[in-house]
Amino acid sequence: MEAIVVERLRKQFDPPKGPVAVDGVSFQIAEGEIFSLLGPNGAGKTTTISILSCLLRPDGGEATVGGFSVTREPEKVKGLIGVVPQDIALYEDLSGRENLLFWGRMYGMNGAALDKRVDEVLELIGLVDRQKDRVDKYSGGMKRRVNIGAALLHKPRLLYLDEPTVGIDPQSRRSILDGVKDLNAAGVTVLYTTHYMEEAQELSNRIGIMDRGAMIAVGTQDELVRLVGERTRVDLALDREASVLAAEWRALPGISTVSEPDDGRLWLLVEDANTLMPRLFDGARAAGARITEISLAEPNLEMVFLHLTGRALRD
Amino acid sequence: MRALSIAWKDIRHVYRNVAGLAMMLVAPLLLASALGAAFGSGDNFVIAAVKTVVVDQDAGAGAGMPAAGAALTGALTSPDMADLLRVTKAATPEAARAAVDAGEADVAVIIPPGLTAALMGDGSAAAEVQVYKDPALSVGPAIVTAVVDSVVQSLDGARAAALTSAQLAASLGVTDPAALSEVATKAAEAFAHRVETGAPVALEERSPVTPGAEAAKRPNVASQVLIGMMVFFMLFGAATPARSILDEHRQGTLSRLFTTPTPRSTILGGKYVSVFVVVLVQSIILLLAGWFLLGAEWGEWGPVIVLALCGALIAASLGLVTVSFAKTPGQAGAASAAIFVFLGLISGNFVGTANIGGTFATVRRISPLGWLLEGWGNVLYGGSWASIALPVGAVLAYALVFFAVATYFFRRRYA
Repeated sequence: MEAIVVERLRKQFDPPKGPVAVDGVSFQIAEGEIFSLLGPNGAGKTTTISILSCLLRPDGGEATVGGFSVTREPEKVKGLIGVVPQDIALYEDLSGRENLLFWGRMYGMNGAALDKRVDEVLELIGLVDRQKDRVDKYSGGMKRRVNIGAALLHKPRLLYLDEPTVGIDPQSRRSILDGVKDLNAAGVTVLYTTHYMEEAQELSNRIGIMDRGAMIAVGTQDELVRLVGERTRVDLALDREASVLAAEWRALPGISTVSEPDDGRLWLLVEDANTLMPRLFDGARAAGARITEISLAEPNLEMVFLHLTGRALRD
Repeated sequence: MRALSIAWKDIRHVYRNVAGLAMMLVAPLLLASALGAAFGSGDNFVIAAVKTVVVDQDAGAGAGMPAAGAALTGALTSPDMADLLRVTKAATPEAARAAVDAGEADVAVIIPPGLTAALMGDGSAAAEVQVYKDPALSVGPAIVTAVVDSVVQSLDGARAAALTSAQLAASLGVTDPAALSEVATKAAEAFAHRVETGAPVALEERSPVTPGAEAAKRPNVASQVLIGMMVFFMLFGAATPARSILDEHRQGTLSRLFTTPTPRSTILGGKYVSVFVVVLVQSIILLLAGWFLLGAEWGEWGPVIVLALCGALIAASLGLVTVSFAKTPGQAGAASAAIFVFLGLISGNFVGTANIGGTFATVRRISPLGWLLEGWGNVLYGGSWASIALPVGAVLAYALVFFAVATYFFRRRYA
């Protein structure tokens, strides 16, 4: 059975003229899978996860979680899921342990079983020594860990993580990504939203790419990359600003995509690198520029997004 | 159980807020204590005894005739006036005035020589009793002046009685001057005797004592004031935990709560319980503090408990309904402060329970606090269950409506 089934989901804020945050989105997540929703800010990822968390009611379409409808059986859905919100949602004047005890009670746990489970989660998130300190005394990374721990107390079948690594240090991010993999290895189905391509690539079995409320592509990384065809990525560095050259190269046949130059660096998707590379050098020479670095690589998700939308993932 | 967990979490948050605790507990106690200290521990708004110095220069009119100066001095120093006046005597008018100037006395009563002769004579001699007062004072000197006036008028009455009797005797044919003088003297003596020994002017005291409870102790000023302050500050006590709904919405913990299997009704119910418990504890502390520190006697415990519960209910419902309209904690704070002050003013929270009467007593019934204070007033002055039935019913009806309105708006916002 599919863990999550979403069919033509729609959500508009302040109708009739308000923005359509989710516009006919459809996808499925299999049991035991890590599925990432990848897209820039404002793509509709958080709205989608809010609907699947039963926080928002959709205006159209249907979604089921564990076989239960999010609109008709929300209490049953909530019993299956653990939600890690994007922002830290903890009580700062309570200690780490008190927070976990409270959230455990909200999932119907109590007594010795709750105490034992809180001990386990504290061990899992590495905060046994600081459990009695107030959360407002924790670092950002520690708060993130408690934020995740609170969603794990009731051993959910599905875990939603909404951009859990935003604004944290690389070490904490590494810890979170490894933790997600460990949970998945233990059988938890994970729905993970991010605008970091690297995270989606590292974690996910399948990825859904969203932009402006729509799901523009769903598949494994290989399937998505194949959308850009048998193209090669050419990374270039020039000795000067390259926006004029970038505009010229976009017009060349055989070049499907040219990224926005970033201080003389840019990349292109080309159909035949061997044929096009001399023309790139000629173009640069004619513009009085010199190519200082060049490399060839396989296409990545960022190029997929750019190919599909014409915009960079981090615009 | 989950509702209680939510309530307990919120209650702990409130009691960690020092500023909130000061507003809830310290402010009403300080105000009541200050007013109680200002007006004493009696059952009404009493003032200190007026320091009065008397100079009696009147030698009297003759044997057998009451000396007006002595009569006036006697009136000022009588035991009946002991609570109002603290009288000393000075040898000379200069000494008396000096005592007032130096602040040793509030008022000097200077009885002139020849007062008796002026009163009992043929009207050709004038005499004036001088009241020399501290210009910064008004109440004390007014009392002394009133007493002096009263005595002088009674003396004038004796003189009038003497003259009238003599004229009546003359009209009846008595012509002997000695006989006429004896008639006049006896009339004056009889009048003076009646003044001295007759029933004093009765001062009818209109008391707000509940009928049938006249023997009950009347509440002191501090307790009358504390009730109004307690009810008023309970509103702020309720607003703090009520605002936690908006705080949690802003912090994201409310949304997180909504992702758990805990029903929204349980979440809101827990919030309601925390608000109710906080204000109930506040009222209990203030009632106990009033009892221990200010000598307040609240009345029969049964009605007192019911009124405390009703106060907590109405404060909680008002706190929640004002927050339900707001979108941010800042908005809620500003709106609730304005609403609470308005309610406090029209309900009589700031005037003490003894001073509500007439139109104001009717107007304040618009407000649930007015009903609550009416119930408290009845209990303070010795009333029991019957005297609080209507106020309690009205307060509960208001609370029910406010809770329903708050629930409607919260559910609509967080549906």
